[in-house]
Amino acid sequence: MANDQNTVTLTIDGQEVSIPRGTTILQAAQRLGRDVPHYCYHPGLSSPAQCRLCLVEVEGAPKPMPSCVTQVADGQVVHTQSELALDMRRGVLEFYLVNHPLDCPICDMSGECKLQDYVHVEGRPHGRSREPKRVFGRDDFGGDVFYYGDRCVMCTRCVRFMTEVERDSRLTVVERGNRSVIDTFFDEGLDGTEWSGNIVDLCPVGALVSKDFLYKARAWDLTHTASICPSCSQGCNIELHTRDNRVQRLKPRENLEVNAFWMCDHGRLNYEWINRGDRLEAPLVRTAGSGEADTRAMGWKEALGVLLERADAAGTQPVRAVASPFMSNEDMAALRALVESLGGGEVVYRSVRAAEESVLEGLPTLARRKERAPNGRGAELIGFSRVGNDDGTGGLDDVARHDGIVLVLGDGLADQDAEFGASAALYVYLGTHGSPAAGHADFVLPVTTFAEQEGTFTNLDGRVQRFWPALRAPGAARPAWLVLGALLAERSGTEAPRSAAEVFAGLAQGSPAFAGLSYDDLGTRGATVNQPVSLPGD
Amino acid sequence: MAYPYVSDREVRILSKHFGDPDQRRLEHARARGRYQALARAFEMGPDAVIEEVKASGLRGRGGAGFPTGLKWSFMPKKPTRPHYLCCNADESEPGTFKDRELMRWDPHQLIEGCLIAAYAIRAKHIYIYCRGEFFETTQILARAVEEAYEAGLIGEDILGSGVDIDVTIHVGAGAYICGEETGLMNSLEGRRGQPRIKPPFPAAVSAFGMPTTVNNVETLSAIPHIVEHGGAWYREYGTEKSPGTKLFCVSGHVNRPGNYELPLGFPLMELIDDVCGGVRDGHTLKAVIPGGSSVPILAADECEGVSLDYEGVQAAGSMLGCASVIVMDETTDIVKQVRRMVQFYAHESCGQCTPCREGTEWMTRILRRIEEGRGTEDDLDTLLDMSRHMTGTTICVLSDSAGAPVVSSIRKFRDEYLALIRRGERVGAA
Amino acid sequence: MSDARGEGAEIPFRNPGWAGNTGEFDLTEEQVRGEDYVGRRPLEGGHPSGAASYPYMLEEKHPEAPLFEGAHQERFLKILSRYPDKRAALLPTLGLAQEVRGHVSPETMQRVAELLELSPAYVRGVATFYTMYNKAPVGRYLIQVCTNISCSLCGADDVMAAFLRYTDTETGETSEDGNFTVVEAECLAACGFPTCVQINSRYFENVTPADVPKIIERLKAEASGGA
Repeated sequence: MANDQNTVTLTIDGQEVSIPRGTTILQAAQRLGRDVPHYCYHPGLSSPAQCRLCLVEVEGAPKPMPSCVTQVADGQVVHTQSELALDMRRGVLEFYLVNHPLDCPICDMSGECKLQDYVHVEGRPHGRSREPKRVFGRDDFGGDVFYYGDRCVMCTRCVRFMTEVERDSRLTVVERGNRSVIDTFFDEGLDGTEWSGNIVDLCPVGALVSKDFLYKARAWDLTHTASICPSCSQGCNIELHTRDNRVQRLKPRENLEVNAFWMCDHGRLNYEWINRGDRLEAPLVRTAGSGEADTRAMGWKEALGVLLERADAAGTQPVRAVASPFMSNEDMAALRALVESLGGGEVVYRSVRAAEESVLEGLPTLARRKERAPNGRGAELIGFSRVGNDDGTGGLDDVARHDGIVLVLGDGLADQDAEFGASAALYVYLGTHGSPAAGHADFVLPVTTFAEQEGTFTNLDGRVQRFWPALRAPGAARPAWLVLGALLAERSGTEAPRSAAEVFAGLAQGSPAFAGLSYDDLGTRGATVNQPVSLPGD
Repeated sequence: MAYPYVSDREVRILSKHFGDPDQRRLEHARARGRYQALARAFEMGPDAVIEEVKASGLRGRGGAGFPTGLKWSFMPKKPTRPHYLCCNADESEPGTFKDRELMRWDPHQLIEGCLIAAYAIRAKHIYIYCRGEFFETTQILARAVEEAYEAGLIGEDILGSGVDIDVTIHVGAGAYICGEETGLMNSLEGRRGQPRIKPPFPAAVSAFGMPTTVNNVETLSAIPHIVEHGGAWYREYGTEKSPGTKLFCVSGHVNRPGNYELPLGFPLMELIDDVCGGVRDGHTLKAVIPGGSSVPILAADECEGVSLDYEGVQAAGSMLGCASVIVMDETTDIVKQVRRMVQFYAHESCGQCTPCREGTEWMTRILRRIEEGRGTEDDLDTLLDMSRHMTGTTICVLSDSAGAPVVSSIRKFRDEYLALIRRGERVGAA
Repeated sequence: MSDARGEGAEIPFRNPGWAGNTGEFDLTEEQVRGEDYVGRRPLEGGHPSGAASYPYMLEEKHPEAPLFEGAHQERFLKILSRYPDKRAALLPTLGLAQEVRGHVSPETMQRVAELLELSPAYVRGVATFYTMYNKAPVGRYLIQVCTNISCSLCGADDVMAAFLRYTDTETGETSEDGNFTVVEAECLAACGFPTCVQINSRYFENVTPADVPKIIERLKAEASGGA
């Protein structure tokens, strides 16, 4: 092994390794797949080395060393599992349990708790303390956070997050010694902060819990699915945690190039819409005539058959298509392709754009972005133009009165009236929910949300990121790319795409921006599109 | 000389003017030689001063006993950033009361020592961190600093040497842990006074992120004498590894408690029997804590032949620490006093490190329970095991200090614990 | 609980507060306390080097007083000038605020936070770390009795009990006449003069239970006579 200036060679648990200089023993052990128990260390925060849990044995050192701050050195011999190391950590864990209440049966953290995990593996089977435990009770910190002081292990990750990352020192340690507890400035609480929800993720135990999630579901009942936050164009990598086919909560997923370890409070709590029950569940077809009574639910094959007939009957007509920036790249690519096959026309999208973004001061590349939708950039790259106002309304007068073909994908048309599309030769509405502006639609086709399909979004920096399905679609709802792809295939006599990857591959072939990318390339971290991304309206 | 009692066994260097209220006044102090060493230091140059202090073998008098000259030599010789000197006047170790006497009787000695030290380490600003409770003492020091400024002994171009040094008196607010070097730094910076991890070391990054040296009041008070008479002179007192004199703070069950300045290596029993007039009349010696509450307790039979220097006390199984000798006679209730000491540590723990935060409080509760007659023999094993896990596992040594009286008292006075546990009987009343 | 100097020691004059009268020294109270040397410190801080070192445990307290005005404002600015950043002035500023108002309330913390451009939560964290910042109002005289080991060996518990009896209070409570709050203190660094008691800014040394009623009388006299 080359031993240049920048790496050192050391032995960890009998294994000789080369590690870059400046790495800590804890990080080196993590590279080898060993998690040395720790609390106060977190890669996104400073390292105070105060929890004293990460102690390891380093030969030649006079006492056990905190591995989160001790740097690797040439010739170092480290034992993370020796008698001494285990004994010291066992001792520290016992100290943690002296005052920690046996709340597991009523604590949200149970099942994903670092105190449970570590004590189970390395702790004493019985604690020896017979003294009454100190009691702090539950404190409402404001925002989405409850603090159970009894459970707190005083790792101060929450305090340091607010000070170092959100840069709004709302939390502090109050008192000292065994009387220490975390608190805010009296009633000031966390109200008005925008990123404080992250302290719930950071808390290794159940001291900080989400009010929204309180008593909702047990950690071990939840299924975790990798996804992308849909609430703005930052594209924070997240996980959807689901149970009973409902999203129970969102959690950030680590991606150092997008959101590091964080997500904003708004995005975190904005998931209830995914669980809305009033979904379109079957294709609805308006038979001859224009009253609602002539609307019939049909199976897909039949419905698409009728649609193709009507399209042929309408002949070559100019198309007006409206997409929602909540649809995936694949969905919108399929729509665009269909529009082209129908003879071309105008493709537009609308989105809400706030006046300001909310930057996370400790990580300025991360912000809650002005555009409050996940795939506006994707829409633009695929050729859609933005219309309408910054509050998401308007811009569709032309489409509303159009007498050719009108295609609506995902836009709920909440601001449009019942006469929308009344003059259209053919009006197809694809959406997740019904709309009062779909009264004149010839076809109302149920599609899936991002949570129910595989796909990609493109964030404001042009980063294309994959998401995976976490929920079963209701009824006969299907991904829009599947529906539109089937239509296109029938019209052009080609094979319909059978996967989102296929659709994406087609997009990559046809678009210079996406050229060269594939699902394999994107993986779980994403990759950037080819051209510099600076478009009007930035 | 010692205050309030004088002993002819004393060597009166630092304590020469204790009890003399005139010594505070600058013109009196100067007439008796104060600030001459400062002039001499300017002539010698900073490196020569450091060498002289190294040659003297002076060891830090705050408890750690680290060689002072060596500590000063860690500071960069060519400053690229501001250097600071902090004088640690946060005397809070139970049993210790020497710094207060030095500050209130001979403040100019301390000021001169600070100035020489700052000059040697190329510091332009001295912070004297005074314990918050020392209102009256700090006022005396502040007035003395004011006098020195008025006389051009502090500030710009001191004594026409071209050297600029400023002094600020900073006041604490009641926290023993701020006497710890890095805890002091944090407190000085306006933070919670919690100790910091090392590395980084103070000589590289400390107060306000700058190289800093922290020295105890007694250490700095010795400096003018060393500069004036030389390191070799200082070595004429004390022992080879522990040279010089030390202010021994004797308290507890003796006839004449107080500060006594004696050469290091002085026999412990002579200090108690001769200098302090012996254990109080009608009583017999039971135990001695030789270095402040943070060091192991010595039983009476272990005190024979113990010499009061760093090595001698260590050989006897304890530590010299800050040389605060606490004397206990047979009326002492060891369990109660150990509980009181551990309670002190629990109260003063900063709370960062789990073994200390939880352990000191847990120990206090167990000891209270034993004191109240509700203890078990398992409790003693638990206490010993806890001490083991509180030693060497934390950022600072407060946790280790809490363990010292517990471990030593259980080993040496086990009967007293057992009397309470088995029969609910207290041994001793004090 | 016996006199550390042994029974029957000849002491010319016993008045607890200073240990100057052992027969080997003959000092007045002013000389021991240094009052004759220090004199009356100017309210605006005197020389900036010592602006932070003031007696901030005054008998007179003004919980509503502004922070800061007049001479106190001058002193505050002198304090600020001694540190490279505002945060470092926090402890002396809290001390000055307590000198003016008598204790550190949430409003005081908020105001100090504004003055030093720190967050109020941060100031709360620092203020609650240190023992000497009173979080609630205290009596005219805050009596702190050291009960740590050296004083404990020499009867500090009896002295504490005596103070509670003669002020008619519980530990930490303020007496009905608003004059006295009695608490236990940790080592005050006067171990050679047991028991040491700190009352506001003054140290009273060599206090025995018999001295307590006399001390209380003295304080009451100072309170009504105007100190």
